Amino acid sequence: MNDITGNNPKDKHLVDRVLRGDTRAFAVIIKNTENLVAQIVFKMVPVAEDRKDLAQDIYLKTFNSLGGFKFQSKLSTWIARIAYNTCLSWIEKKKPILPGNLHEDEAWQKHSTENLHHYSSVSNESEGQISQKEVKAILRNEINKLPVIYQTLITLFHHESMSYEELTQITGLPEGTVKSHLFRARKMLKENLLSKYKKEAL
Amino acid sequence: MTNSHPKEKEIQEYVLDRSACSNTTIGHIESCTVCQEEVNSYTLLFTGIKQEPAASFDFDLEQLVMPLLPSPEPLMTTDRFVFGFLVVFSCLCIGVPVYIFWQNILYMFSGIPVYFIYVIIGSSSSVMLVKIWNMFKKYQNQMRILNFNYSR
Repeated sequence: MNDITGNNPKDKHLVDRVLRGDTRAFAVIIKNTENLVAQIVFKMVPVAEDRKDLAQDIYLKTFNSLGGFKFQSKLSTWIARIAYNTCLSWIEKKKPILPGNLHEDEAWQKHSTENLHHYSSVSNESEGQISQKEVKAILRNEINKLPVIYQTLITLFHHESMSYEELTQITGLPEGTVKSHLFRARKMLKENLLSKYKKEAL
Repeated sequence: MTNSHPKEKEIQEYVLDRSACSNTTIGHIESCTVCQEEVNSYTLLFTGIKQEPAASFDFDLEQLVMPLLPSPEPLMTTDRFVFGFLVVFSCLCIGVPVYIFWQNILYMFSGIPVYFIYVIIGSSSSVMLVKIWNMFKKYQNQMRILNFNYSR
């Protein structure tokens, strides 16, 4: 049963074990959270080679600062925050632009359009019916074309079923900003899809 | 039914959580074909996102991280034994004289001039403050390295 912060007693037990020197418990923490971390890393880091180093870095940071975890959020949310901040630092190092424009820089989205060439044939079929598989491919590409922060929030909210509060804890953004980003992301995604492909085709 | 269509935000809210919408909004959406189309678009979109395959690393993360973690310390190392011995020895060094001479301790500082006591207290406080400041700066630096006070 979860307590008020959403923390699972098993998580507390695992953290205690790690702090007592039982590193095997940390392997369980990795196993429990790696999918969530992967979602964040894949949405924020387009360079496949760097993902490995970043994932390693994220869990080493987690291990080294586990003693400072105060159980004020879920353990997974806390680790997701470390993942988010680590990826954000990576983005800043790779592309030194003004932080305010960081997530909405169009050039930064170039990576996500690379795969679009593969699906260019799909768009030609939009006059007629397109298969379910193709619809998924189109949707995936449209998501990848969104600004990084939108992609991350959309994935965490709709795919990982995270709450606004959890998204606030992960990104450090105010709840209003998170809601506003999500609203714009959904609207942008819907409009992009509808403008490119006939609604009937979808 | 109201004539004006609900805002896009309300349509999204309707698809996400119908109970959060007002009765007027629900009434309009359910009887308006234009809004129904919007609702269908968003429903399709949200279902599509939900069905997206989850991202996963193409390497064994556990194998990657675990060898880098410090190995668990044995229960009693030489360092710990020495540390324990020093603690007990220090306690004895302080405790035994205090036990033997406790009646004279009160008169220990009676012959020392007051200004000399102030010098001792002042200098030791200064050293302590410098130590605390250094410790705080070191902590801040470590936190900065760990990105926990990352500022956007």
